[in-house]
Amino acid sequence: MNPLNPFDSNINLLQKVLDLRAKNQSVIATNIANAETPGYASKVFQFEEQLQNAISAKPGTLATTHGRHISTSPDNVSSVTGVIHEVKDKTGLGDENGVSVDMEMIALSENELLYETAAQLLKKKLTLLTYAIQEGK
Amino acid sequence: MDIFTTFDVSASALKAQRIRLNTISSNLANVETTSTPEGGPYKKKSVYFQTKPISFKEELDSSIQGVEVTKILEDSEEPRKIYDPAHPDAGDDGYVAMPNISVLKEMVDMMSATRSYEANTTVIKSAKRMALKALEIGR
Repeated sequence: MNPLNPFDSNINLLQKVLDLRAKNQSVIATNIANAETPGYASKVFQFEEQLQNAISAKPGTLATTHGRHISTSPDNVSSVTGVIHEVKDKTGLGDENGVSVDMEMIALSENELLYETAAQLLKKKLTLLTYAIQEGK
Repeated sequence: MDIFTTFDVSASALKAQRIRLNTISSNLANVETTSTPEGGPYKKKSVYFQTKPISFKEELDSSIQGVEVTKILEDSEEPRKIYDPAHPDAGDDGYVAMPNISVLKEMVDMMSATRSYEANTTVIKSAKRMALKALEIGR
């Protein structure tokens, strides 16, 4: 076990989740800001699947034991970047803008809640660590 | 990308919607204006939105963009003619050229601008709550 990471690897995971959720927030903000820009294609940021693959890394992937080794798959939580898909307007009506503000607002609340969940989990983990450091006082 | 990128994106949208609201109020104020310094009746103005890169870094990563009003268009529709020979701007035939503004359309546009503004303030509030939550980590 890494002595600088005495608790568990979930701290890294939660840290990554916070980063990705913050990025998702910006993408949703972009969609809402451009809700009336003609020809704008709505953007969707997806990372859940990549993250899932990274935490359940298959046996048989090559280990990276040296700083100059190249990872064969995104088996490393910190290398997850997420992908952005563009969703073009298919209705053929109006100004070809693909944003639906109501769906974006739902995605916004969902993303905020999941960000706060990750932040809360991280906070609790650190509180436990503090508790152990202070000998349970 | 940092935590303030979201604020920049939404702030650009607030600015754009405010400019839109200003043009709507200009249109409504001048709904009966028959003479302008350029001559002729007032022409209806409308805004043109375009995506805008937030910073050089975000220019490379085109997924995060703000919005801006790049031009204000003047309506080219023919003015409305109203028969009023006593009016100082009446032509030889007794008709006055009035601006071609539909108050109803302007009102609907105004409501749409207000709702868009509100949606963007909601995003800013949400981003602020997230940032505050992140500050609580380790407290």
